[in-house]
Amino acid sequence: MSSDAVICGYVRSAFTPAKKGGLAKVRPDDLAAGVVNGLIKKYKINVDDVEDLILGCAFPEAEQGMNLARNVVFLSDLPKDVGGVTVNRFCASSMQAIHQAAGAIVSGSGELFIAGGVESMSRVPMPGFNPMLNPSLIDVDAYIGMGHTAENLAKQYSIGRDEQENMALESHHKAASANDQKEFEDEIVSINGVAEDGCVRPETSLEAMAELKPAFDKDGVVTAATSSPLTDGAAAVIVCSEDYANKNSLQILAYIRGMAISGCSPEIMGIGPVLSSQKALKRAGIKLEDVDIIEMNEAFAAQSLACVKELGVEMSKLNIHGGAISIGHPLGASGARITGKAASLLKETGKRYALSTMCVGGGQGCATVLERA
Amino acid sequence: MKINNVAVIGAGLMGSGIAAQVANAGFPVTLLDIVPDGATNRNVIAESAVSKMLKPVKLGSPTPLMHQRNAKLITTGNIEDNLDFIKDADLIIEVVLERLDVKHDVFRKIDKFRKQGSIITSNTSTIPREQLVEGMPDSFAKDFMITHFFNPPRYLRLLEIVSGSEVSQEKVQIVSEFCDINLGKEVVVCNDTPGFIGNRIGTYWTLVGMVEAVKSGLTVEEADAVMSRPIGAPKTGLFGLADVVGIDLIPHVTSSMISNLPETDPYCIAYSEQEKLGISQLFSDMVNSGYTGRKGKGGFYRLNLSSGSKVKESRDLKTGNYSKSIKPKNLRSVKAAKKGLRALVEYDDKGGKFAWQVLSKTLSYAASLVPEITQNIVNVDIAMKNGFLWKKGPFEMLDALGPSWFADKLKSEGLEVPKILEIIGDGHFYSEKDNNLNYFTIDGEYEKVPKPEGYLSVSDISRGKTAIFRNPSIKLWDMGDEILLAEFVSKMNSIDPLIIEGLSEAASLCESGKFKGLVIGNDGTNFSAGANLGLASFICNVGAWSEVDKFVEGGQLTFMSLKHGSFPVVGASSGLALGGGCEVLLACDRVQAHSETYIGLVEVGVGVVPAWGGCKEMIRRWNADSKSPKGPMGSIVKIFENLGTAKVASSAQEARGMKFLLDDDDITMNRSRVLYDAKQTCLQLVDGYIPPEINEYHLPGLSGKAALDLAVSDLVKSGHATPHDVVVTDKLASILTGGDTDFLDKVSEDKLLEMERESFVDLVKTEATLDRFEHMLTKGKPLRN
Repeated sequence: MSSDAVICGYVRSAFTPAKKGGLAKVRPDDLAAGVVNGLIKKYKINVDDVEDLILGCAFPEAEQGMNLARNVVFLSDLPKDVGGVTVNRFCASSMQAIHQAAGAIVSGSGELFIAGGVESMSRVPMPGFNPMLNPSLIDVDAYIGMGHTAENLAKQYSIGRDEQENMALESHHKAASANDQKEFEDEIVSINGVAEDGCVRPETSLEAMAELKPAFDKDGVVTAATSSPLTDGAAAVIVCSEDYANKNSLQILAYIRGMAISGCSPEIMGIGPVLSSQKALKRAGIKLEDVDIIEMNEAFAAQSLACVKELGVEMSKLNIHGGAISIGHPLGASGARITGKAASLLKETGKRYALSTMCVGGGQGCATVLERA
Repeated sequence: MKINNVAVIGAGLMGSGIAAQVANAGFPVTLLDIVPDGATNRNVIAESAVSKMLKPVKLGSPTPLMHQRNAKLITTGNIEDNLDFIKDADLIIEVVLERLDVKHDVFRKIDKFRKQGSIITSNTSTIPREQLVEGMPDSFAKDFMITHFFNPPRYLRLLEIVSGSEVSQEKVQIVSEFCDINLGKEVVVCNDTPGFIGNRIGTYWTLVGMVEAVKSGLTVEEADAVMSRPIGAPKTGLFGLADVVGIDLIPHVTSSMISNLPETDPYCIAYSEQEKLGISQLFSDMVNSGYTGRKGKGGFYRLNLSSGSKVKESRDLKTGNYSKSIKPKNLRSVKAAKKGLRALVEYDDKGGKFAWQVLSKTLSYAASLVPEITQNIVNVDIAMKNGFLWKKGPFEMLDALGPSWFADKLKSEGLEVPKILEIIGDGHFYSEKDNNLNYFTIDGEYEKVPKPEGYLSVSDISRGKTAIFRNPSIKLWDMGDEILLAEFVSKMNSIDPLIIEGLSEAASLCESGKFKGLVIGNDGTNFSAGANLGLASFICNVGAWSEVDKFVEGGQLTFMSLKHGSFPVVGASSGLALGGGCEVLLACDRVQAHSETYIGLVEVGVGVVPAWGGCKEMIRRWNADSKSPKGPMGSIVKIFENLGTAKVASSAQEARGMKFLLDDDDITMNRSRVLYDAKQTCLQLVDGYIPPEINEYHLPGLSGKAALDLAVSDLVKSGHATPHDVVVTDKLASILTGGDTDFLDKVSEDKLLEMERESFVDLVKTEATLDRFEHMLTKGKPLRN
């Protein structure tokens, strides 16, 4: 073990609605390269020291295929002798990228990494272009639609539509107010002139939400308003060893203190954060009560609320600048966004511990515990 | 000179409709309107007109544009800043307010910017050309004519042209051809008289219709029950038509007509009668209370939604109260009309009397107006058939009644007999001679009915000839030049074993060398509404499964013989080409499609799958296109979506995107030209014709099917698919993914056809499919079970 892994920087692109937003016509490799360059420029890192570019992507085919990460190396200001690896853990792909970087650092396999992720849900649709499913996995719900998993949790935890809509409204209000206070200005890299998030709807209301029909189950309680929108975006963080940061005068935002993966039944995949968070907290040697900043990906309000109930999360600590319902959820980019955001918030608020966690299609959870420098 | 670039001034309903049709024809068009007072966006009127073109009023309702992409051909602007946009226009169509001063102002503006020799036309319906050119320079007048479109310009085919002596014949010809060939219009040249042809006779008909209805105390339902299908007019009737046109608009038209006509004209006489009876007052009362027709709160009819469901109500002409519409049951005359127009007007009940009162006046009036409004009777009939959608024109109706019988009846009632009716005596207005259709001229002679070059119909081909082959569902005709024509004549041109027999005979005739090519087409509104469901339902209900299998297999073999025979086959389509009708087109080498062709494989809607090669052909087409999405599932997903949701293309242009039509297939804008164009296409293919090869395909197999099944199960949960949809799309998914195949293996077309056939037979054995058949047959729409 050479050193602790730390996060020293975080940027992202604006998150814009798929098909109609400002980034719809940007190739995902170009989008990721723009964000990587933004990160390099903002933190003035020495590109020659970068060991590897680890990029998460949930549907790595078509424009996101051909080892996307390696191509982003070529498209960005990184030199050719930096490696590139694309990782896929569906929605947690870029949190996995961070975990891989941290793992490499503590095992002495490199000092400086760029870990991030990208998803153009405009250009590569959700099940991919050529869904070829194993017929024998249909019955085990391996491919169950995400909306249905949210419905299942709503039923299991008796989460009503009102409660979900309140959470969604809150998410939009938090994101809108963070935006008003220029909280995102520092983290967003302008790509093709697009520098503002496009999914947030400050004007939305409970009345407007109540009008919507259920999106996935005609008798259900989950609507488009209480689900995260299809989004285009990319995010990246600098993960390096504490030694490297100190030697190169990089300001440490947070130490990575615990990481965990867990599995669960695919039909309630949204509960994934519970076990993974518990495991990561335990590894960090702390309790949830010790955590002040919680970034939990809002795939669905029903799913988030189930985890809130199961873990006992204090709402005032949760997603204080808004979550995926309002900001958007470009699958492969969200893990880096929430982890980078959690690290930045530690720095900004001076609090000690943060948790970032998310659910994963197919039934998984992924969590990271951070400590302020 | 050729028209390559068009400008439309005025972006109201008509102006934007005309601009859309020009764009539909593939021409760039500039659309300008005024700058509204205080507007921040100075192009707001034209821009919102274009955005309305893109958004149908109701989901699925027709739009002025045949394809969304056509909007890109329209450049918007305003007449204050952007008149220079018209400098390249060869044709400038004015569609502004019906006010002479406004029009003159616009003409002067246009005149400053237009290029020399460009043609200006006005879409006026009420102002004579003479007044429009008054005070304008000679150079303007000789480039100016009236082009009167009917609303909606995409669908109503009549176009009236009024020219002047100072305009060259060449210019009239250029405009006529553009409107005919490119915009698909039925062009009629008429004289510069009020209301030209269509509105002169059509609004007179509604005027006397309302007068006579009120006089004889008929309800609006009764009047409309008679003045609709029984006389060959659209089912809206008189009062329903007024609702569609707009109750506010009608008084404008009639008052402008009477102001331009002499007091002695029957139009003015009918108008003063209308005034006396209080109908004019009724119109203004309705307008004042918001009853402007369908665009307002309602008109003579309204839909009352207050009970939560739609209740059609009609207005009491005396009290103005609305009550639930009741279809008149006691009008025996309406039933009698099935035996012909004469049976209707001679029937002794209030309907029969009403029909005679209205038709005697309307037809006499029409007969008295030739040559005042146009040179020949043919133009009058064309105008009424294409502008008011009458099945027969006034002179064709007179022929049906018998001109001498009609004249005698007028005389016996002390009514004036129009001159042309006196002259014609015992003759008819139309007569067939030497395989030609002739018409009665104003000089009392018979002349060949003029047709623009390139017009062709089955009735032209078959006139005076015997079919080469015929049965109750299909006829085969010699089209000339060794091309054979197959004409469907079954109800809705639906496909039954007799049609299959006839097509098989057509294939044999071509294979034997007696003919070199085959055209499949007809004069009907619809190419074919699909397989004969009534027959299929009957066979299934008696459990004659082997007959079902035979019917399906017979169709498959015949369609394969059309596709892969040694002769070219061209489909000439218009209107609906659904299910089996679509599969006929898919079996052709080329399709010459009327722009208004609505193609779709809708079998899933009635609980079956396309089984005459429809699935096979879609796989073939999507596979052959290098632009199709790649990978084992890319195009299969697209086909599954289109077929699984029974999608129908809303125009021939849209059908291309779904591959019901291919890039090599051609689109004809004018319905009357489709058959001629199809024959030309067929002749072009004859030399060196090589039939397409039979292919094999890599298909995704069970893994792909699992993905499609999952998508359907999600749709079921969200309430977008029904339990029986699952059963039907399970079969569809299985065929499209090649059954139990591996992606590395190839699936033959024979195998696909076998799967189509087996799936079809399996599905018709389910009760839910038979319920869907029954529902479609009785209710005319798909059952969602």
